Amino acid sequence: MLTLNGRELWIGYALVIGSALAIVAPFLWILMTSFKFPIAISTGALWFSPTGFNYADVLFGARSDFPRNVANSLVVGAVSTILVLVIGTLSAYSLARLRWARWVGRLFLGWTMLFNTVPVLTIVGPWYLFFQQLGLYNTLAGLIVAHIIINLPMTVWLMMTFFRDIPVELEEAARVDGCTPAQAFFKVILPLAVPGLIAAGILAFVFSWNEFAVALNLTSRMTATVPVGIAQFAQQYEIQNGQMAAASIISTIPALLLMFFGQRFVVQGLTMGAVK
Amino acid sequence: MGVNRQSATPALGQGGNGVRAEAKRKKQSDRLFRYATLMPAVIALVIFTVYPMLNLLQMSVSTITFAHGGAVWQFTPLANLAKLRDDSVFLATLRNTLVFVVVSVAIEMTLGFALAVAVSALGRFKGLIRSVMILPILVPPVAIGSMWKLMYNYNFGIFNQMLAWFGLGPVGWLSDPNLALVSVIIVDIWHWTPFVFLILFAGVEGLPREVIEAARVDGANNWQIVRKIILPLMGPAIAVAFIFRSILAFKVFDQIFLLTSGGPGTATEVVSLLLYRVFFAQNDMGYGALLSLVVIAMIVAFLLGARRMVAGRA
Amino acid sequence: MKIWTSVHHAVTALVLTVGLMAPALAADSVTNVGKQVPINILINASPWYGGFEKVTELYQKQTGNKVSLDVTPYNGMLEKARNAVRGDKSPYDILNIDTAWTIEFYKGGFLKPLTQIQPGYAMPKQVFTCGGSYYWNAQKQWRTPVGGELMAVPPNCNTQVLVYRKDLFKAAKLAPPKTFDEVLDDCKKLQKPGLYGYVTRGERGNGIWYDFLPFLYAYGGSEVADPENGDFTSTLNSPKALAALDKFIEIEKTCAPANRGAIGQADVIQLMATGNVAMAQVVIAAWPYFENPTKSVVVGKIAAVENPSVAGGKPGVPMGNWHFAVPKNIPEANQKAALAFMKWFLTKDAQMAYAKAGGIPVRSDVMAELSKEPKYAWMAAYKQSLEDAVQPIGYAEGAAVEDVMGLRLNQALIGQKSPAAALNTAAAEIEAIFKKNGRKTGHLPPLPQ
Repeated sequence: MLTLNGRELWIGYALVIGSALAIVAPFLWILMTSFKFPIAISTGALWFSPTGFNYADVLFGARSDFPRNVANSLVVGAVSTILVLVIGTLSAYSLARLRWARWVGRLFLGWTMLFNTVPVLTIVGPWYLFFQQLGLYNTLAGLIVAHIIINLPMTVWLMMTFFRDIPVELEEAARVDGCTPAQAFFKVILPLAVPGLIAAGILAFVFSWNEFAVALNLTSRMTATVPVGIAQFAQQYEIQNGQMAAASIISTIPALLLMFFGQRFVVQGLTMGAVK
Repeated sequence: MGVNRQSATPALGQGGNGVRAEAKRKKQSDRLFRYATLMPAVIALVIFTVYPMLNLLQMSVSTITFAHGGAVWQFTPLANLAKLRDDSVFLATLRNTLVFVVVSVAIEMTLGFALAVAVSALGRFKGLIRSVMILPILVPPVAIGSMWKLMYNYNFGIFNQMLAWFGLGPVGWLSDPNLALVSVIIVDIWHWTPFVFLILFAGVEGLPREVIEAARVDGANNWQIVRKIILPLMGPAIAVAFIFRSILAFKVFDQIFLLTSGGPGTATEVVSLLLYRVFFAQNDMGYGALLSLVVIAMIVAFLLGARRMVAGRA
Repeated sequence: MKIWTSVHHAVTALVLTVGLMAPALAADSVTNVGKQVPINILINASPWYGGFEKVTELYQKQTGNKVSLDVTPYNGMLEKARNAVRGDKSPYDILNIDTAWTIEFYKGGFLKPLTQIQPGYAMPKQVFTCGGSYYWNAQKQWRTPVGGELMAVPPNCNTQVLVYRKDLFKAAKLAPPKTFDEVLDDCKKLQKPGLYGYVTRGERGNGIWYDFLPFLYAYGGSEVADPENGDFTSTLNSPKALAALDKFIEIEKTCAPANRGAIGQADVIQLMATGNVAMAQVVIAAWPYFENPTKSVVVGKIAAVENPSVAGGKPGVPMGNWHFAVPKNIPEANQKAALAFMKWFLTKDAQMAYAKAGGIPVRSDVMAELSKEPKYAWMAAYKQSLEDAVQPIGYAEGAAVEDVMGLRLNQALIGQKSPAAALNTAAAEIEAIFKKNGRKTGHLPPLPQ
C-alpha cells in the first residue's frame, strides 16, 4: 500500500478522523435533542436537564401509535424476509446451477434489474389500484407482498453469487451418491450457503424496516410502519420535534445492533456484487 | 458431508430396462425440481411487477375517476399527452433530478475513493471506520430526513446556532430557493459516501501489493501510484459503485419528502416526489402512469448506456 | 337552566375525573338519542382536537353509546377518507372532510345525504352554515342550501382571523389594524430583533394558496369568473389580483421571517406561541394552542380581529371549514348512530361544553353568550368573520387549481418568478385545467411582465 509521510500523513488523518466525526456528530446531536423538552429544543438551549419525556410520549403516550408501528414493522420485516429468502434462494440456485436456457436467466435477471432500477413510485400507482381489487390494500399481508417483491432482485443476485462460489463437484458427488437434485440442494449446497443467507436476510430485513414510499401509500393508521410513524410527527399544526427525534433514535436500533453484531455479514452483502 | 458414496454404487451396476426407467424417472424429477425452484419467483414477478407495468400502459391513456365501489376508466388517449406537453414542472423536476444525481454522485465518488485510499494507507482504525460507515447506510432514510430537518431548522437548528456564535446568519437552509437543493445534496453525501467507501475500500484492499511495491521501487510517488495504478485497477469497482449510486440517487424520495417536500417553489422537486404528488395528492392516476412510463424509458436508456460503458471498459 | 347546569357539571366531573357522578347525570340528560351501535370517527389532529375528545367523552357518559376516534395528521386525512369510501365497507361512520375536498365526495356519490337517514332532518337554525358548503345541489353541481341536499354538519367553521399581541399594541398605543396598509405600518413600528411584525403561511401548496386569499378577496380579485353560473373564465391575472399579490409580497418581505417561502401552519403557530411575532393571520382553529400554558408563552396576551381589508372595502375571509359526513358504504344502523351523534353534537349544551374544553363552536347563540366573558372575547371576531366569510373554490377542479396557485404564488414570493409572470402562468394553467374538463372558459389579456 501507499506509505504516507509528512504532510500527506496529516491530510490522511484529517480526512479519516474528520469523516468519522462528521458521520457520528448528527447522531449525537439528535440523541441530545431527543432528551430535551420541546421548549428547550425550540430555544436551542445547549445546557438542559435531560428528560425522558419524548420517549415516554412516543412509547406510552395515549395518542401515540408508535408501539403499533414498531410491531407492524417487525411483523412485516420478519415475514417478508423469511419468504423472500425462500423464494429468492430457490430461484437463485435454479438459475445458477440447474442449466436453464440462456434466455431464461437473461430475461429473469434483466427484468429484475429493470424493476430494481425504476423508482418504486412508478409502480405504487398501479399497485394501489390492484391491491384494492385484491383486498390487499391497507393490510399487513399487502405490505409483506410488496416488500417481498422489492427485495427479491437483491436476494436473487446475492444468493447467485454465493452459489457460484460453491464448487460444482460437490453437487456432482452428491448426485453420484444417489441424491435427488432436491436432496443435493438441501443437504449439501444449502448448508454451505448459510453465510449468504444471513447476509441476504439481514439486508432484506433492514430494507423492509426502512422502506417508506410503499408503506406511506399502501397503509393507514393500523398498518403503518415505523418510517410512516416518524413522518407523522410533522403534523399540520404542530411539529413534534422532540418526539420526532426520539422516534428516529428508536428506529436506528436495528442498525446499531447490526453494526455491533452483524458487521461482517452487512459488509459482505453490500460489497459482494461490486467485487465479483 | 453426510453422503455415503459406496451405498450408491450398486444402483449403477444394474443393467437393462431398470437403468433406462430409472434414468427417465431421474430426468423427470430433475425437471420438476428445476421448475419448482424457479416458478415461485417467476409467478410473483409476473403478478406483481409485469402485470402492474402493463397496467401502466392502459392507465396512461385513461382518465381514472372513482365512483362508489371502484375505479372508473375512461379512454382519453390525448388528454394526458397534452398535459405532459404543457407541464413546466416536469421539466424543472428533470433538471433538479439531474443536478442532484450528477453533483451528489460525483462528490460521493471522489470522497469515498479518497477515504478508501487514506484508510488503507494509514492502516489503522480499519474496523472502527468500517463500523461507523455502516451506520448511515442501515438507518431508515426517513430518520435521516427528520434528523437533518431538525439540524437545518431556521430558528433552532445546529447550523444556524453555530453561525450565530460568529454573529452570522440565520441561513434559510431549506427555505432559500438557491440553497435548498444544495442542502438536500449535502444530506445525500452524508448518507451515501459511506456506501461508496465500503465498496471501494474492499477494492483497494484487494489490490495486488506487489505491483504497487514495484512502482514505488521504480521511484513513483504516491500521487503517481494513485493515478497510474490504483485508479485503473479499481475501474470495475468504481464503475459498479457509480452505477449503483446513480440509480439510487435517481430514485431519491424519503429524505426530500421529509426535508422540503419539493419546495420552496420547485427548487427540490425530484422525479419520485412529482410521481407521488401526481398519483396521490392530485389523484391523477392516468397522468401519473404516463409520467412513470417516461421515467422508465429514460432509465432503460441509461441502463443500456451504462452497459455499453462497462463493456467498453472491460 | 337546569339542563345546562347538569351538562356543566358533567364537564367538571370529567375534568376532575370524578367518575362516580357521571352515571347519575346520564340518566337525567334530555338529549335522548336512544341506544345506538358504536361508531368510529375519522378526525384530524388539531389544536381543537382536545375539545372534541372531551365532548365525545361527554356523549358516551350521557348516552352510553360508544364512540372511538381515529386521530390522523392532516396530511393523511384525505387519503383515509378516500380509501374508506372507495372500499367495500367504510371503517369510519363519520368522516371529517376539509372544505376543498367536499366536491369530490359529494359529486362521487360517496356520502349518504343526512335527510335520507332521517327524512326531514335539518340543522338547528343557530348553527352557522359556513357559506353553504354542507349542501349539495346535484343539478347545478354547486354547494348551496338553495335546492341542495344536506350532506354534512360542521365540527367547526374554520375562518381566518388576524391574531395580534394586545400587550404590544397597547404599549405602542396602536389600535388593531383594519387595512393591509395599517398592517404594514404597525409591523414596521413593532418589529425589532427577536420580534417579527407579521407572519402568515408562505409554503408551497395549500398554505400560501389559502393565506393569500384574504388579500385576493379584499382587493376584489378572483381566480375564476363565476363558477356557480358556469362561467369558468380564468381571472387570476387581473390587475386587482396583481395589486393583492404585490401587497402580500411587500408585507411578507418587510415583516415576516426570511424563511417566509417555507413557513407552514406549525411555524406560524409556533412563532406566535413563543412570542416571536406581533401579528399572525391564522385560522381560528389555532386559538386553543395559544391559550395552552404548556405550549405558549402568550397566554392572555393575544386578541383577534377580523381579517384586514382595503380602505373602505370589505375584508376578505375565506372559509376553511370541516365537514362531518356519513359514508354510504356502512350499515343503516351505523348511519343512524352517526346522525344521532351529530344531532347531539349540535345542541347548545354540547356546543357549550365543546367550546369550554377548547373546541371551536358553530352556534351563534353559544358564541354570543361566551364572547361576553374575557376568556372568550375572540369569539366576537370569529362570529363577525363568519358573517363575512365566503367559500373558496366550489368546483370539482378545486384541488388542481389549488395546486397550480400554491406553486406559482410561492414562486412569486421567493423570487423565482415576478408577480405578474406568476399570475400569467397560473391563469394559463388554470384555463387549461378547465378546458380539459370541457368547461366554458377563457382568459384575460396577460399582465405586462
